[in-house]
Amino acid sequence: MSQRGEWGFSFPVRLKMIDFARVQKELQECSKDVEESGIKVSPKSDNLALLIGSIPGPIGTPYEGGTFQIDITLPDGYPFEPPKMQFATKVWHPNVSSQSGAICLDILKDQWSPALTLKTALVSVQALLSAPQPDDPQDAVVAKQYLQDHHTFVGTARYWTETFAKASSLGVEEKVQKLVEMGFPEDQVKSTLEAVGGDENLALEKLCSG
Amino acid sequence: MQNQEALMEDGEMESAMSIPTLECDDWAKFGDDDIMQQQSAIQAEEAKKVLFVGDKEPLSTLAAEYQSGSSIMIEKIKVLDEHYAAIRRTRGDGNCFFRSFMFSYLEYILQSQDQEEVERIRANIEKCRKTLQSLGYAEFTFEDFFTLFLEQLECVIQGKETSISHDELVLRSRDQSISDYIVMFFRFVTSGEIRRRSEFFEPFILGLTSTTVEQFCKSSVEPMGEESDHVHITALSDALGVSVRVLYLDRSSCESGGVSVNHHDFIPVAGELPNASVLSPTNKPFITLLYRPGHYDIMYPK
Repeated sequence: MSQRGEWGFSFPVRLKMIDFARVQKELQECSKDVEESGIKVSPKSDNLALLIGSIPGPIGTPYEGGTFQIDITLPDGYPFEPPKMQFATKVWHPNVSSQSGAICLDILKDQWSPALTLKTALVSVQALLSAPQPDDPQDAVVAKQYLQDHHTFVGTARYWTETFAKASSLGVEEKVQKLVEMGFPEDQVKSTLEAVGGDENLALEKLCSG
Repeated sequence: MQNQEALMEDGEMESAMSIPTLECDDWAKFGDDDIMQQQSAIQAEEAKKVLFVGDKEPLSTLAAEYQSGSSIMIEKIKVLDEHYAAIRRTRGDGNCFFRSFMFSYLEYILQSQDQEEVERIRANIEKCRKTLQSLGYAEFTFEDFFTLFLEQLECVIQGKETSISHDELVLRSRDQSISDYIVMFFRFVTSGEIRRRSEFFEPFILGLTSTTVEQFCKSSVEPMGEESDHVHITALSDALGVSVRVLYLDRSSCESGGVSVNHHDFIPVAGELPNASVLSPTNKPFITLLYRPGHYDIMYPK
């Protein structure tokens, strides 16, 4: 639509197009206090419609110490339409699919508003890590574990953080290696380690008894 | 979900809607994406039927809607007919109050060329901008919306290079890329006013939703498509200093026998206008809306 020029608007008002000028401003704004918030957003390539966000796991949760990457896709119509976000880093959480990383969060759906930003959305995702909503789950298996066997849930979530969300997940590799050398199949070692929350001795016990 | 229900409610005003049902046998797999998809399908359906802002229609078209319906409604429309000449419908997409307000206001300025009013609202808009800044909103989230409204305000003033006709105003109100930006402008203004005077609004909000002021603004004011209530109208009217008359058309009957149509005037509070909350010639509403449960349309007095 070339009507814009004709009508003399000073900025793009097309709805079915991403407002890239705004996205630029958002990226600038976000980089300003990255030290403080730990929240980063950067373009995946030259195309500003595909971004990657990064949030630190909240302190005092099983996600502490991890850094979680989130794939962000801006739909046509952003900021009227919500950004699509999903975890690229595997995470064990009732409101995140352990398979796909899909996030169940109202502000990424019908409660989205142009008053929100990529950063505020990521802050909400971070808050979701601190306060799971098992009654409105994205991953039913995780939610069930969260409610019925909380101890195991915490262990598994922590193990996943260690394994997938830390730069040095070497510890886990070593454990796997060690147990494999004892003669257990790798798949079984991995799944057993996951099930017991990464405890090497418990895993060995379970592998022997199983 | 809320949106969807709201839409359905709005839809009741019209003839029965045919909503495309999703082919989904396994309800366990019926996820949020499906819901969103269905919601946009409903919106698309609605869009085909009613423009964002319709044409001016005689009141007889309103009467025709209830021809085989409630006799109270027919009686009430007869009462309305004595004082009102026409109705202009808006789309029932949850934004109808803001959309009606937008069109009515700009149309008034275009027809009256009331310079004093333009100066007054401009000053209030600047106050709203400062309110949002002081509340911690990032400038880039709201500046485009403010700019677009101020540009439209400039355009309806005649005798300039940028001036537009009434027809053009109608077209722009129907153009999503302008209309939705202005709706969002009003949502920002409303939210800012509610937060700024949160102590005043808190009891009303508690009565409506039993949530905090903050949560109310986040979930019921700032997202597009969230319906407006008296809290929204009060806040917008106060923030911009613009009076609004709302006529209530519902099936309630009065005890005293005779049929009448209730109305309420939202008059900006003190500080914005000299005679606070008192109807005076200076704040007589020039915006009149017709409220039917779940929906607002524009009314034209005789």
